[in-house]
Amino acid sequence: MGRYDGKTAVITGGSSGLGLAAARHLVDEGARVLVTGRTQETLDDAAAQLGGRAIAVRSDTSSLTEIDTLAERVRAEFGTVDALVVNAGIGSFDPFDEVTERTFDDVFAINTKGPFFTVQKLAPLMTEGSGVVLTTSTANQTGWDALSVYSASKAALRSMARTLSRELLPRGIRVNAVSPGSIDTGKLEKEVPERAAELKAAFTASNPMQRFGQPSEFAPAVAFLAFDATFVAGIELVVDGGDSQL
Amino acid sequence: MSNYEGKRVVVTGGTSGIGLATAKLLDAGGARVLVTGRTPASLTAAAAALGPRALVDDRDVADVDGLAEHAAAAFGGVDLLMLNAGATGGAAIEDTTGEQYDDLFAVNTRAPFFTVQRFVPLLPPGSAVVLTTSIANRKGIPGTSVYSATKAALRSMTRTFAAELVDRGIRVNAVSPGPVDTGILERSMPAEAASEFLAAQRAVNPMRRLGEPEEIAKAIIFLAFDATYTTGAELTVDGGASQL
Repeated sequence: MGRYDGKTAVITGGSSGLGLAAARHLVDEGARVLVTGRTQETLDDAAAQLGGRAIAVRSDTSSLTEIDTLAERVRAEFGTVDALVVNAGIGSFDPFDEVTERTFDDVFAINTKGPFFTVQKLAPLMTEGSGVVLTTSTANQTGWDALSVYSASKAALRSMARTLSRELLPRGIRVNAVSPGSIDTGKLEKEVPERAAELKAAFTASNPMQRFGQPSEFAPAVAFLAFDATFVAGIELVVDGGDSQL
Repeated sequence: MSNYEGKRVVVTGGTSGIGLATAKLLDAGGARVLVTGRTPASLTAAAAALGPRALVDDRDVADVDGLAEHAAAAFGGVDLLMLNAGATGGAAIEDTTGEQYDDLFAVNTRAPFFTVQRFVPLLPPGSAVVLTTSIANRKGIPGTSVYSATKAALRSMTRTFAAELVDRGIRVNAVSPGPVDTGILERSMPAEAASEFLAAQRAVNPMRRLGEPEEIAKAIIFLAFDATYTTGAELTVDGGASQL
């Protein structure tokens, strides 16, 4: 018996890091989960880890065609969706002077446009009382070096949590954001290997808890917003060791 | 229902509304709960609603030493200190008296401050403090200038307490309820005015309804036990009223 027995959840970017931790938490509590990712090998690993209640689907969130295909697949697998976790995103650590048009467009395509159309295409499948959770970032409220494009893409997403709430509440769908600070997902090592150690030391030193969060500490916030926060809409819940608050 | 076996919980203002809903969920989950309240009828009702393990304390919120001593004697330590006691009320700025001003700040701001101060020695690493603020602390609602200011001060303390207690492993967060049908308004304004106010709140709320005390309680319990990487934050539970 789990808290989310019989519930269906879709998690984009759910094959690694924060999304995978959220998927594991929901599966452990009884939900059926469909996770997406871009790399087949990572998806296969995720499917093996999550077990029989999970499906891993290759889907590139920057492609509207693939989002359409994803919606069809979700309809075929689940029929309806009780939780949509829009978590797919990429980091970008270029100093402002060096940001190219290509980088700018890629980051916004994955972090902002993809999430927008994911909600648009999946909303028709969502049940009354269901929840959408958007993964933003504490960067959207601060000014970190070399994060200009990433932070702006997440600020736009945070804004959508408000407007999409307003538009979807009449259908009984709540939209909220969860805003992670420094969580140890291994993404820094992957995306900026040469600067990872330096950045991790700096983030640890400046964090009020003097540590990184674990993905398993992020997952309950997603579950809370998706299923338990029935009188909560348009908010951003920070999971950052106090970094943006103190 | 999650398991809170062995958790020791103190809820001020825990005999009605949001506080009682929180105490009930935790009591049912196996926690040991101490609630405080002032209204005789609420004290009786709370004792009946909670299991035989629960402790009901009728002391004034200003008696912070007495409450800390009671908790220490009963539990030894405290895993969740939920500071929910508060008063509403208020008047237009030109009608507000010094006494009204002092009373609201005493209950809503001063008492929580010194309660946290007295309880710090009882809070082990991994424990949590949750403060009930209000969405009024960021809004300008006519007739609530003092109430809103008391809650804004409390929201600020959430940040500073969090900073001062983070090294001891104690997290401090706030839950900010929007309009909830708890019955508290009827105690501070005429019933007709209260029901008019609530009807107006319902009409303007993005969810077109008021919150239930249990919906706030779930947020409190999330902050207390699940939000291990969140401190200094305020979690808004208002149907979207302050967000959209």
